[in-house]
Amino acid sequence: MSDIEREIKETNIRLCLDCGKCTVVCPVAQYDPEFNPRLIAKRGSAPNNREPDKTIWACLSCYMCVERCNYHVKFPRFVHALRAEAFADGTQVQCSHGGSFYTLMRMMSRKNLQQKRMDWLPGDVKLAEGYETLFFVGCAPYFDAMFQDLEVNTLDGVKGALKLLNRAQIPFNIMANERCCGRDLLLQGDKKGFTALARANKEEFERLGVKRIITNCPECYYTLKVDYPDIPGGTGIEVLHLTEVITPLLQNGKLNLGKLNKKVTYQDPCTLGRCSRIFDEPRQILKAAGLELAEMEPSREKALCCGATSWLQCGAVNRQIQKQRLAQAEASGAEILVTACPKCQIHLRCAQKSDNSKSPGVEIIDLAGLAARSLD
Amino acid sequence: MSNPVNNIVVFVCNWDGLSCVEAASQKGLRYPPTVRIIRVSCLSRVHSGLILKAFELGADGVMLLGCEQGNCHYEKDAGLLEQEYHKTQSVLELLGFQKEQLELARMSRGDGAGFVKQVTHFISGVEQSQAPVSQ
Repeated sequence: MSDIEREIKETNIRLCLDCGKCTVVCPVAQYDPEFNPRLIAKRGSAPNNREPDKTIWACLSCYMCVERCNYHVKFPRFVHALRAEAFADGTQVQCSHGGSFYTLMRMMSRKNLQQKRMDWLPGDVKLAEGYETLFFVGCAPYFDAMFQDLEVNTLDGVKGALKLLNRAQIPFNIMANERCCGRDLLLQGDKKGFTALARANKEEFERLGVKRIITNCPECYYTLKVDYPDIPGGTGIEVLHLTEVITPLLQNGKLNLGKLNKKVTYQDPCTLGRCSRIFDEPRQILKAAGLELAEMEPSREKALCCGATSWLQCGAVNRQIQKQRLAQAEASGAEILVTACPKCQIHLRCAQKSDNSKSPGVEIIDLAGLAARSLD
Repeated sequence: MSNPVNNIVVFVCNWDGLSCVEAASQKGLRYPPTVRIIRVSCLSRVHSGLILKAFELGADGVMLLGCEQGNCHYEKDAGLLEQEYHKTQSVLELLGFQKEQLELARMSRGDGAGFVKQVTHFISGVEQSQAPVSQ
């Protein structure tokens, strides 16, 4: 069975009733009439049709279609399979940021890589001696370097997460030569590139004896938890999102946050929300920090994506989605837009920056970074 | 101990940058054969993606050679170029490269000898920095 045949089976794409609900709820299809998930599913699964589909690169993998589909057809995964097929055929993929991130990821899979990525680590963070529990930082140091002009501070979230873990007395360590989890290569269709990165990380986990991974990045979380076990040999490591670790401690009183008294709204990152079904934990952390939560319309399962994904495409359609989400945040009346994903932060901040005519808009802060501020 | 340097990429702008390279060849000045010149309209065209790609493909060092401040043919390079240069420098350092491996040089029109001096100095800087992260 070929890869694509297996994916057609595993994604349940043949259960598609052609009802078009996926297309109705798709944020991309709302602004781009060329993009039609229903037709992509129909064309892509038609027997003997292996014509390249140029529209597949616009999918945001936001899982809105899966949420709405009566049969939970895994459309994003099917799109990833179509992309992998196109990529293997040598299709030139359109990349945002001049392809910098893909180049970075491929360079990170080199065997003799010796990164210098720990300079940001605050001196007061207590690291454990061993690596039984690992905090997986993600690409935040690279994001902050690459998006200096946007003044994003994705490391603020990482530092906040470490501070929360220290306060909760959960021992953890950090890998000095951690590589990208490879999710964006997987979404781009570069399975070989993804496997190279995953293997390099896996070897390092095994060498250090990692048994549990905690991460603050939803993309790393999902990839380490769902995709890494599929690489040859698997990983067998427990993977937790920071919110899953912190929330129980808040409930049983082992960790107490201070009171911030601000009105905030929360952006559900697609990979954390619809993909990983973590909706309540972030909200409980916000509540515990004394923050008043004003929900955007729509939120939770129906939350709108931040508009861009995987450094693939960033054009007028993506910008319209971002502006729509920012308008929803403004309408909620919140002072701060809290998100749990560094990429949401980057994309929404970029949309804010590009809009010169208006006021600076809501402040965008990472959930862990904000929660850690309440500890001061 | 210095390491052998096999690939040096120099992005030159079509104007003052290229005129320096052309002047060097017209005067018969020699520079190492490891230098590969890539001509672009303006250095503003060179973004982090292109610089990183050069390193991905095996460059040991990348030099950006353009017009002096205020002399840009398109009057646009100052902001964009500096911004891309600094952010790429930060990213390369995170990846474990040395800061000597990326250089921004601005030269006046037709300075062939200056170009040869600059590129030779750049190569020795790359040689003396730690082992480049090879493939």
